[in-house]
Amino acid sequence: MIKNYLLIAWRNLLKNKTFSIINITGLAIGLSCFLLIALYVLDELSFDKFNDKADRIYRINAALRFGGADLNFPLSSDMMGQVLKKDYPQVEDYTRIYNSNGSKLVKKGTEFITEYNVAHADSTLFNIFTLPAIEGDTKTALNEPNSVVITEKTANKYFGTSHAVGKTLETDDNTKTLYKVTAVIKDIPLNSHFNFDFFFSMKNVDYQWGQFTSHNFHTYLLLKKGTDYKAFEKNFDTYVDKYVIPEIKTFTQIKSMAEFKKAGNMLEYSLIPLTEIHLYSNRQYEFLPGGNIQYVYIFSAVAIFILIIACINFMNLTTARSSNRAREVGIRKVLGTVRKDLIKQFLIESVLMVVLSMVIAIGICYLVLPLFNSVADKTMTVRSLLSPIILPLLIGLPFVVGLLAGSYPAFFLSAFKPIEVLKGKLKLGKSGSLRSVLVVVQFTTSIMLIIGTIVIYRQLHYIQTRDIGFNKDQVLIVNNVYTLNNNAVPFKQEILKMAGVKSGTLSGYLPVSSSSRSDNVFSKSPVMDSKNGFDMQNWRIDYDYLQTFGMQLAKGRNFSKEYGSDSGAVIINETAAQILGYKDPIGQKIYRSGDAPGQEISYNIIGVVKNFNYESLKQTVGPLGLFLHSSSGFASFKVNAAYVPEILKHVESTWKAMAPGLPLKYRFLDDSFNEMYTGEQRIGKIILIFSVLAILIACLGLFGLSTFIAEQRTKEIGVRKVLGASVQGIVQLLSKEFMILVAVAFIIATPVAWWGMSKWLTNFVYRINIEWWMFALAGVLALSIALATTSFQAIKAALMNPVKSLRTE
Amino acid sequence: MAANMIKITDMEKIYRTEEVETVALNKLNIEVKNGEFVAVMGPSGCGKSTLLNILGLLDDPDNGSFVFNDIEVAHFNERRRADLRKHNIGFVFQSFNLIDELTVFENVELPLIYTGIKGPERKKRVEAVLDKVQIMHRRNHYPQQLSGGQQQRVAVARAVVNNPKLILADEPTGNLDSSNGNDVMQLLTELNEQGTTIVMVTHSEHDARYSHRIIRMLDGQTVTENILI
Ligand SMILES: Nc1ncnc2c1ncn2[C@@H]1O[C@H](COP(=O)(O)OP(=O)(O)O)[C@@H](O)[C@H]1O
Ligand SMILES: [Mg+2]
Repeated sequence: MIKNYLLIAWRNLLKNKTFSIINITGLAIGLSCFLLIALYVLDELSFDKFNDKADRIYRINAALRFGGADLNFPLSSDMMGQVLKKDYPQVEDYTRIYNSNGSKLVKKGTEFITEYNVAHADSTLFNIFTLPAIEGDTKTALNEPNSVVITEKTANKYFGTSHAVGKTLETDDNTKTLYKVTAVIKDIPLNSHFNFDFFFSMKNVDYQWGQFTSHNFHTYLLLKKGTDYKAFEKNFDTYVDKYVIPEIKTFTQIKSMAEFKKAGNMLEYSLIPLTEIHLYSNRQYEFLPGGNIQYVYIFSAVAIFILIIACINFMNLTTARSSNRAREVGIRKVLGTVRKDLIKQFLIESVLMVVLSMVIAIGICYLVLPLFNSVADKTMTVRSLLSPIILPLLIGLPFVVGLLAGSYPAFFLSAFKPIEVLKGKLKLGKSGSLRSVLVVVQFTTSIMLIIGTIVIYRQLHYIQTRDIGFNKDQVLIVNNVYTLNNNAVPFKQEILKMAGVKSGTLSGYLPVSSSSRSDNVFSKSPVMDSKNGFDMQNWRIDYDYLQTFGMQLAKGRNFSKEYGSDSGAVIINETAAQILGYKDPIGQKIYRSGDAPGQEISYNIIGVVKNFNYESLKQTVGPLGLFLHSSSGFASFKVNAAYVPEILKHVESTWKAMAPGLPLKYRFLDDSFNEMYTGEQRIGKIILIFSVLAILIACLGLFGLSTFIAEQRTKEIGVRKVLGASVQGIVQLLSKEFMILVAVAFIIATPVAWWGMSKWLTNFVYRINIEWWMFALAGVLALSIALATTSFQAIKAALMNPVKSLRTE
Repeated sequence: MAANMIKITDMEKIYRTEEVETVALNKLNIEVKNGEFVAVMGPSGCGKSTLLNILGLLDDPDNGSFVFNDIEVAHFNERRRADLRKHNIGFVFQSFNLIDELTVFENVELPLIYTGIKGPERKKRVEAVLDKVQIMHRRNHYPQQLSGGQQQRVAVARAVVNNPKLILADEPTGNLDSSNGNDVMQLLTELNEQGTTIVMVTHSEHDARYSHRIIRMLDGQTVTENILI
């Protein structure tokens, strides 16, 4: 019996080919979008959950405000974990990760390779995180200095085998060190907030800074079962009083935390659950750029919207078509078909269509996933569709959507009195207004997505073109210049000889994220207390730094060889000048904390540099002082674009001659600049793709609807043409209703999109204003797309010879 | 003004479908004078509606000449035909062909909108013509709320609201009972008496008697013509 139903259903699909194709394609596209986004969202939510003890692992974050500079980072001090474990029984264990240098040179054969995923870790790392060993015993692997644990792929890379325990690795980060491989672990899953290939022993870290006041370690606590971490955080005040304040007292006049706080300062620690790091923690100095819970919400909303749009389409079209089938129902009923059978027939037909769509959707997912992965920077597989969350959807959705979509025709039509249906007295007014609502919902979503895309792209464009206080174009940066040792300056001189090299500078401090940073407490007066003190970036630069990066002086002068005393001079930025509050800061002094009170070092302010954005535009420009001091992390050259190939060749040969065996790494400043916004660019792309798809689906639906409506109104169109209506008039008549619906959608979408995008823009300190034209553009776009879609059918209907439509059969 | 409003010579219309080729009009010759009331009769399928559609400039002939008010229109393109049609010709159909979504008033108003008459003038003319067909009291009703006779009176009103020179009626009483049918025929006669030329297709000898002349057709050709007055 069911076979019979299926057969008839199949025949009906074939009979209305256009309709079936539009219907199934639309739904399939919608479903595949939904599945892809669902995969993405699930992946984002899965971060760090592979750790068995994930629910008990917390990272310590620090928030510091000192003299108006706000610092918020995932770092804590050398000793913090250790004393917390000693003082509080709730702390079962702790571990620290240290990757202050960012990269190490590791020797393979005779060549050094720059490795970025390197860190030093405490031996307890493997007790806390679930990083299973392939070889060796991770429990003891990092106990001794000069030991290293590497991942499987690293073992293969350096030794051609994953059995690397006992082998030796040589590293170079200023000094050469030999490490023995004590364990090989499985590669760290990609859904982890860190992604290291090497864990060197923490015992090799020679840490000379303050044990409680200097923050350079990522510290993780493993709390005992049943510990309330929020309650535990309250202990941090006691910790500060007991350990931090005494240390601060040794080099400042600050006497107590209360006094420190009263002056508007702050030092606060907090815990963040491991599983929240990826989505909720976007601090400076994270190991990897995190996700963003906002995007998870936005994408979930988009996924659900697209699914709704697609389902609405499906229901809309199925319903629309069913009214054309009223006659068929009438005839069937006259012939004695019972209502129950009709209901079954309609439901089976619609479920069959959704099942077909689902199969196609999974196919689309399979084909598109590699592309989607590269856009979203993920490595998801179709296999993930079998996850316990998605699988039930895959199976359940066809039935839910199918039954919902089929129920209208099934119950409504089957209840008709056959005589009325056959007399053509059937009116579908009510479902008409329902359809209008559905079209409005679809276009509201589409317009919101278009507006979102426009705003994101405008903001990205703004980032590219905003005056950031320096010139990021055509600056060549050579990495790891410190490996040249004494050859760093000669290297710079040699490159400067080239034609097309305008100027060059040696400094580890660059005006983009992921270069060196260091901050210190400075003070307006020799007495360093909570009122005068403020935290400021102090960068080491040379004479040519400002010129190479095109930074402008607001006041005073640059470092110059004509002044012998410039080693005691400082150039501050406008923010620092503002904090100091002098009418004319030139000639004034600032002081840096020394080893003890009374040992402060004074600097002469010789210039004020116009603020430049040295972090991403999401952050304000904090106080910065530039000091004349050697620093050879990078060599940067302002070059003429026309000469770049020759310059690069020369850089390579010079490097080879001066640093045989060491890898040369270079990049361009604007690339590093753009890297700060890859997240945003990715979101822009993804939103763009999904808005295009949402519109495509909505248009498919509109196309189906307009086909149906044009069909229904053939007679009316014929009459109107006989009475003198022009083709243009008819097209207008048929399109007008849709245009009104799109207009209504626009009115609804505008405030919602405005609200949402304003919220998104608050991520950026420096941002565009949302302007009226962005809405107008989205509206015009949606309107023209809708017009193009509907007018196709409208024109076809309008061109039809009225004689044909009016012929009485 | 010419004596002949319509002069058709050697007109052919052939319908080609996949296999069949139907000769709907076969070298047909017809003349209709200004102010005349002509009835066209003949068995089903003999080409009456086809003739009417061509007279109404809804369809173009395959061959032959069609002179309308001294102008050869057989070769007119769609736009020119539409233009000529909306100023000169009114239609009445067997199945009324009123638009269900529009009220009586709005239905009658349509031709005036399409000829670009302004609002107040439209209102005046629609009301005048609705008065004439005695349906003024139903002006805000929808077609489904009216009886067949009333609907056809609305259709006639719509056909004449533009003061056309020619009214083409395809079995206007075909769907009506005799009393309603007589009302409609009365209306057409009055219009004719006021100077409108009428060509009406009918199956009813009774209705045909309202006309001045009966053209009898068979297989796309005229067979006889009866002059009644
Ligand atoms: N659009 C058409 N396509 C094919 N054949 C048609 C078409 N319109 C009319 N015919 C055929 O042309 C002939 C004349 O039709 P018609 O003028 O409607 O006849 P009448 O109105 O006298 O009944 C008939 O045989 C009819 O089947
Ligand atoms: Mg006919």
